[in-house]
Amino acid sequence: MLISKCSSIFFFSLCIICYAQNSKKQSKPYFFKTLKEKSQHLINDDFFDKSRSFFLNQEWDSILVHTSLLEQKVPESTEVKDYGHFFRGYGFLKKGLLSESENEFYKISKDFEFALRVIMYQGEINLMSSKYEKAIEKFKILEDKPLDLGFKRSNILFNLGLCYLHLKKFKRANKYLKKSLKLYEEKKDTTELVGAYAYLGSLYYEQYKDDIAIPYFQRAYDLAKNVDDFTLKRDAAKNMAIVEENRKDLVAALLYRKEYEQWKDSLNDQNKIWQTAQFEKKFAIAQKEKEVNVLKAENRAQVAERNTILYAAIGLFLLLIVISFFYRKNIKSKKTISLQNEKLDALNTTKDRLFSIVSHDLRSSVNTLKLSNKKLLANLEAENFDGVHQLLLKNSALVGGAYNLLDNLLNWALLQTKQAYFEIKELQLFFAVEHVAFNYLPLIKEKEIHFENKVPKSVKALADKESLKIILRNILDNAIKFSESNDSIKIYTQEAKEDRINIVIEDTGLGMDEETRLRLLRAKVSTVNERKHKNIIGSGLGLQLCKSMIQKNKGEFLIESELGRGTKMIVSLPKSPD
Amino acid sequence: MEKINVLVVEDNPLEREALVEVLENNNYNITGIADNFKAALAIYLNQKDIDIVIIDIFLGEHPEGILFAETINQLEYPKKPFLFLTSSIDKELFERAKATMPFNYMVKPFNELELLFSLGKAMETFYNQNETIADNDKGAIVTPDCLYIQKGNSLKKVLLDQIIFIQVEGRYCNIITEKGKFVILISLTKVIELLDSKIFGRVSRNFIVNLQKIEEIFPNDNLIMMLGGYKVTFSDKYKSIIKKHIILK
Repeated sequence: MLISKCSSIFFFSLCIICYAQNSKKQSKPYFFKTLKEKSQHLINDDFFDKSRSFFLNQEWDSILVHTSLLEQKVPESTEVKDYGHFFRGYGFLKKGLLSESENEFYKISKDFEFALRVIMYQGEINLMSSKYEKAIEKFKILEDKPLDLGFKRSNILFNLGLCYLHLKKFKRANKYLKKSLKLYEEKKDTTELVGAYAYLGSLYYEQYKDDIAIPYFQRAYDLAKNVDDFTLKRDAAKNMAIVEENRKDLVAALLYRKEYEQWKDSLNDQNKIWQTAQFEKKFAIAQKEKEVNVLKAENRAQVAERNTILYAAIGLFLLLIVISFFYRKNIKSKKTISLQNEKLDALNTTKDRLFSIVSHDLRSSVNTLKLSNKKLLANLEAENFDGVHQLLLKNSALVGGAYNLLDNLLNWALLQTKQAYFEIKELQLFFAVEHVAFNYLPLIKEKEIHFENKVPKSVKALADKESLKIILRNILDNAIKFSESNDSIKIYTQEAKEDRINIVIEDTGLGMDEETRLRLLRAKVSTVNERKHKNIIGSGLGLQLCKSMIQKNKGEFLIESELGRGTKMIVSLPKSPD
Repeated sequence: MEKINVLVVEDNPLEREALVEVLENNNYNITGIADNFKAALAIYLNQKDIDIVIIDIFLGEHPEGILFAETINQLEYPKKPFLFLTSSIDKELFERAKATMPFNYMVKPFNELELLFSLGKAMETFYNQNETIADNDKGAIVTPDCLYIQKGNSLKKVLLDQIIFIQVEGRYCNIITEKGKFVILISLTKVIELLDSKIFGRVSRNFIVNLQKIEEIFPNDNLIMMLGGYKVTFSDKYKSIIKKHIILK
């Protein structure tokens, strides 16, 4: 008895599985479709729409959460309220919370679209919670109703039979189970048939009608062989094992028991496989996550590295700029220093040159003067007045030369140090020439040179008065020096291009060769030295001073000369704008 | 014709001597000689007939010459033209000297020709009548008191109240004075513009007379008898001036 009871518990659980499979496989899509169609008119209600979409997508948790607000809300219509309770009840049922589900289903009004289905669910809940009398009540209501709602009459009959079986009302149970068996056989629903045969078997077994029971068990077992479901196979095998054991056919029982163990193992294996798969999946996910984490970390590391490189590059670049800045500054200062050195060298050379001029030329003239003075005294004592006169003339010429040299030296120094007053003004060239020439008139007369100032009084140029006088004095001095008796010196002006006026100092004196001419034009103070005409005092300083001063007056200096025929010194100055 | 009165401010005896000699040789009158700032100022304020002052920048160790120029520029006293002499062309000193607005300057050593030319230029600049005497030997500077004229290389002065009349001949003017006559190169319009119209009046196209030198007028004969026996005819066009003058007299 104990054993058989035990077996009936197995079958009960089997039935639930059967039912669940049934609703999943067939009635659900049909029922869902119907529900969707019938409730289309409520779609404007947000609450309903959301609940329904959760329901249709079978998201039970979401439904439960969403519809928990149902009580607080005042639904606009009983229909929406009914749907709400329905979804909620259905959700609870699916989650296995039977009493909560039953509660919800009870709140649904009688006019609800799917009232019959609600009753069916209530019956099933009662059945599952062993309230068989109540379950029978519910199923009885449905027994005669037209069944177009996607659940099968056979299931209801089967459930009724199940209830009576549990209440040990074997007659009724037999009747309903037979009815459902007939319907299953018509539909050739093997899975359901296995359940039905098994229950019929246990029905007779409970009444100790073993002879009737065993063929049912046998049939259930046979049918179960064609079914994929391991649970069914296992239970059928177990039932057979119990039956054979009770019949004392221990060998058969052992065989069945073995089969049962095998199916159980398979089931376990399946579960294990599933679990393993689940575990593997989890593991794979963990692995993936790990990988992702690693990648993320790598990314971060890469970004960090990149940033580091970037900062380093920027730092290096800045450093480079700073270095190049200082390097350039250094080079610049070096350049400046070398330029200054060059300048200093040039100045030093100039200074040396000037010293040598002073020491040589000036010293020799002063020395000559000294000697001449001795001679002068001697002549005076001897009362040789003619000689005294000659010597005095010579001396004054010497002093004049020395003075000019000194003056040039001074002016040169002032020009170099830029201490001299310099003011470019409009000048009447005639007077400048006249005033410079005035000092030379005695010398010109003495050397019997013909001198002419042919500059018109109206001609004006822009120049600094004092420096122009120095220029003219030096050029005239040279012209006189390199002229001999009966030569002539003419000073005149020419109009030149670009608003310039040329002052030409032309002599018919010794002239110079091309080489000398070019050297004079090119030379600097430090390089002019050699003397071509030994009896003529000159250092070349005068001409160089001229060149510098002409340059300062924004003028140009030209020499035209032919050896033995004379020289033209041309000073080109800016014309005054009239 | 009178000599030009020159005040010489120069401390170096040798250079002063040379300067005075050159000036006297060229018929200038040295009206005073000073070798320091005080003496120079005393002469400048006492001598009324100074025509031009020659100032050496360095008197002793200091550029007192510039100080003198600055002082006379500040005075409420009839200004006279002055020019600087200097042996230095130092820039700073020059700038300071220039600030006193000298009418010319000369850098030592200078020759006779430069000195005379510079004196003339200083006069031209002072009376703002450029290129009148320095460029040509017949030019003249007209001042409220006198005419400065170029005679050879040197300047002469003719007091305006010694002029009896001026006769214009082309670009030249004959100036007839009590002491003689001479010719200057100046246009009639310029002469009239520069002379005081209360003293000098135009009597015909060619004649300007000193109204104070008129002895007698013969209106019927259009004749004016001038001092010194000069006879000047006047045209009807300028009669009114004569009449006016007579009435005033």
